[in-house]
This record gives sequence, C-alpha cells and structure tokens, in this order.
Amino acid sequence: MDYKVEVKNVYKLYTTQARQSHKLLNFFLNRKKSNNENEKLFAAINDISFKAMEGETIGILGLNGSGKSTLSNLLGQVIQPSKGKITLNGTPSLIAISVGLNNNLSGLENVKLKCMMHGLSPKQIEMVKPDIIEFAELGEYIEQPVKNYSSGMRSRLGFAISVHTDPDILIIDEALSVGDTTFTNKCLEKINEFKEKNKTIFFVSHSASQMKAFCDRIVWMHYGQMKAFGPADEVVKEYNDYIKDIKALTSKEKAKLKNESFKKQYLDASKFTNYNEKKSNVGEKLINLLVLIPLFVLSALVIIGY
Amino acid sequence: MFKAVIEVLSEQVKHWNLIYRMSRFEVKGNYQNHYLGTLWQFLNPIIQIMIYWIVFGIGIRGGSPIEGVPYIIWLLMGLIPWFFISPSMIQGSNSIHQKVSLVSKMNFPVSLLPTIKIVSNSVQFIILMTILMFLLIINGVPVTLQWIQLIYYFICIIAFIFSFSLFSSTISTLVRDYQTFLSSTMRMLLYLSPILWDPEKSNAPEVLTNILKLNPVYYLISGIRDTFLGKGWFFEEPIYMLYFWVFTLILLYFGSKLHVRFRENFMDYL
Repeated sequence: MDYKVEVKNVYKLYTTQARQSHKLLNFFLNRKKSNNENEKLFAAINDISFKAMEGETIGILGLNGSGKSTLSNLLGQVIQPSKGKITLNGTPSLIAISVGLNNNLSGLENVKLKCMMHGLSPKQIEMVKPDIIEFAELGEYIEQPVKNYSSGMRSRLGFAISVHTDPDILIIDEALSVGDTTFTNKCLEKINEFKEKNKTIFFVSHSASQMKAFCDRIVWMHYGQMKAFGPADEVVKEYNDYIKDIKALTSKEKAKLKNESFKKQYLDASKFTNYNEKKSNVGEKLINLLVLIPLFVLSALVIIGY
Repeated sequence: MFKAVIEVLSEQVKHWNLIYRMSRFEVKGNYQNHYLGTLWQFLNPIIQIMIYWIVFGIGIRGGSPIEGVPYIIWLLMGLIPWFFISPSMIQGSNSIHQKVSLVSKMNFPVSLLPTIKIVSNSVQFIILMTILMFLLIINGVPVTLQWIQLIYYFICIIAFIFSFSLFSSTISTLVRDYQTFLSSTMRMLLYLSPILWDPEKSNAPEVLTNILKLNPVYYLISGIRDTFLGKGWFFEEPIYMLYFWVFTLILLYFGSKLHVRFRENFMDYL
C-alpha cells in the first residue's frame, strides 16, 4: 500500500529569544556557526518517525505540552521541521481552535476570504458557500462580525470552511472539543465520510475514548518523544495504565518526574550546528558586497551635487 | 544570483487576481465598524492637510504663494503622494507579522501580503491625485505634456514601496523593535522630505540638501511636484535617477533573499 504521509527523523528545536536576533545578524554577516556552542536547545519534537497510509486515521495522544500541537502544526505545514523531513502526498488542511478568522469581517465574508485564500475561484466559492453555511449551523449569525461569536461558533465555522476546501490530508487539533455533542457528532459523521473517500486524517486529542472509537492507529507523544505507535486499542490501554500510575504518585514525585522528563527535552546545540541554516559560500558574500558598490558611488555623486 | 528576486516577482504576477480580490476585502475590513465607513479614507487626509496648511501655510509663511502657486496647492502636491507612501511603507512592513498566522495554515504565498496592503492603499491615492489635478486646473496651473511622466513616477513609487516592504516585513517579523523604529523614522522623514518646505529654496547649505536627497522619498515627492509645475523631464537628472533605481533594486535584491530564506520559519517568530 502507498503511504500518504511520511515523517522521518523529525526534530523541532526552539532557541532562546536572544538568539533570534543573532540569526538575522548571521544572515547579514554570512556567519555559519552559532556564537555559543554549549547552548541548549529545547526539543519540542525529538526524533520522530512514522508513516501514515492512505485512508488511515491516525490519533495523536499525549499529555499537555507533550508536543501534540507542534506535531500537528508540522503536519499541516504551518511550521517547518528543524531537522528531518516530512513528505506529504497531497494538500493538508489543519483545523485548530484558533483558526485564522478575521474578527472584523462577518461570518459570510470570512467564508469568502478563506476560500479565496485556499485558491478557490469565485465560481467555486459560490458553489461551496451554501454547503458551508448549512454545515456551520450559524443561522442568521452568519451576517454578524466574527468577534461577536462564541468560541463554539467560531470553531464550527472554522471546521465547516476547512472541511469544504476538499483537503487530501485533514488534521484536526482538538477543534471538536469546544462544540456541543450534536455538532461533534455531525463532524464525526463528516470525518467518516472522508474516511470512506480514502483520505488520511490526523486526530489530536487527549480524550482516549473518542480516539479509540475513531482511529486505526495512535501515536503517543511523551515530552517530545514518541512513546508508542501502534493499533489504537493497544496504545490506548497502555496510555490509560500510564495515567493510572501517574495518578497514584504523590504530588512531590509527580513534580520530580515532570522535571526530569523536562530536562531531557533540552539537547546540546553542538549536535545540531547549522541545524537550520543553509550553507553559504564565499562567492555569495562577495556578490552581496559588490552589489552595494554602485550605491556607494552614486550616493557620493549625489552628495557632491551631480 | 537573482533566483530569489525572480521567484518573488513571479509569485506576484501569478497571483495577481488574488491580490486584487484580497485588497478589496482589506479596504472593506479596515472601516467595517465605522459609521462613516470608507469615507474615512478621505476624511483622515483632509484633517491632516488642514493642520499642515494652517501651521505652515498661514502660520509660518503668512499665506504667501510659493513657486507661483498658492501654498495649499504646493503642499498638496507633496502631501498626497506622502499619504500613499508613508502608510504603505509602515503597513507593508507590518503585514507579514500581522497576517502570517492567518495564511500559514494554507497554501498561500506570504510574499503577497505586503503587495495586498500597497494595492489597497493605492485606490485612495489615485482618487486623491485625480482631485488634485482638478484643483490644479481650477487654479490655473498649465497642463503640459510633462504630466505624462506621472505614470513614470507612479511606477517608481510602487517599485520602491514594494521593495522596501518586502525587505522590512521580514526584519519586522524577526525583530519587533524594527517596526517601532520605523514608525518614528517615518515621522521624521515627513520633515526631511520636500513636503512642507523646499530644502533647495531654503537657506540650508547645498551639501545638506544633497544629503537629504539620498532619501528616496525625496526623489519621488520632488519628482511629482516638478512634473505638475512643468519643471523638466525625469531623465534630465540622470545621476539622481540612477541613484534612486539602484537603491530600489538593491532593496529588492536583499529583500527577496531575506524573504525566501526566512519565509518557512515566519511562524516560529510570532
């Protein structure tokens, strides 16, 4: 069978705030190495590899801060991996609670705008518009500015739009947890419809029961690492056992465990020199300088008064 | 060498239709919650024009004409382009930081964001320019063949603002201090460009005027005013013209390189 998504040795590393300006400086000076070799990097995603097949629903399970959302952002190509590669055979669409809606525009205008940005032609927009409006069940609120919407209404609108732009790969990041049961059921129905169309779906949640009902396989994220990847029943069982164990610990032990796991997420920067930077060569440096020469000559001429 | 430049420019050409449609939304969204709506696009500049006219025209100059036209007309020839250039530079630079979270979840070229700002601002500019031309004709300023070069200067403005916003939008996303720095610089630039006064006709030493000329906005504003007053063709000052274009193209060159280099990681910097 053909795989739809391949995640291969992916890392997502974050640096301290101060280093960001260094990056810009490095660009201008064409410097290669980071200033401080002993610096620590925070690995939100730490060496993850898996493959997802066509028509498969993959759950992403984990505690708060385990890297679920980072992983879903990576899959939705919102952010790029620091190291490793994600291959997607199709267009992804990410549905998160904080979907990018323009608060000042009305629901209807947002529908148009978002579809437009997804690359739909005006004709296509007119075609899907009624479906979206019907699916979102906003009634006459569709004419109201989005800033007056409740969070449930927002996520309903976001879900409706994303679903109707016909993505190949759907990533649902806890977007369903805000809707009420009737809407959630409707979404799940829609997701089933997608499954029948052989689309790949990623489902992020910490509700193990919802996952068990839906997913074929589950990725269990644990402090940036993948603790398990396998059939839904097995992973959910393992996860529940783990949660039980954690609950049995005293609060002091819990804090200690958390701290230790947290520390493991910091990696030495020296292992990842230029982890993100493309190689620059001397030729390019020279060109950058040469380009500036005419400017200097001409500004001198202007000052003299030519 | 020019791979990045070509890439960014071809994105603009390819998605021209999208830019146009998004700009219309932009204009609409800006004034959505105002009772007077898009009328503010014109009320805003009118209020500012009145203040500058009262302070500089009536207050400081005592109402005397300049270069054969009333001061208010002379002022408008500089101020109307400025009302297009300055907000476009500031908003264009901020556009990526402001909007990238909206567009990153889809297949949308980020390099269109500054352009959308520029295009949506240009509508106001073209309307104000047309009104200005009427005012000039009413005030007896002769219409000459040279007015054709307004098209040339319009292209100059667009080229400069585009290159500038592409360059600064990346920096502004990476280093937030830049945007604050930019808005205070722009306030300063208003006084350093020949908008409210003419450095060449003042008592300032010539070297100082020439240094002020290094500011590309100087080239644009003085060019447009000279066109209206029929003071010569744009190619009559080749060195200065060349300087402006080299400056713009260098901005475009580095702007595109920076943009292409960092665009995949914009979300990390929010």
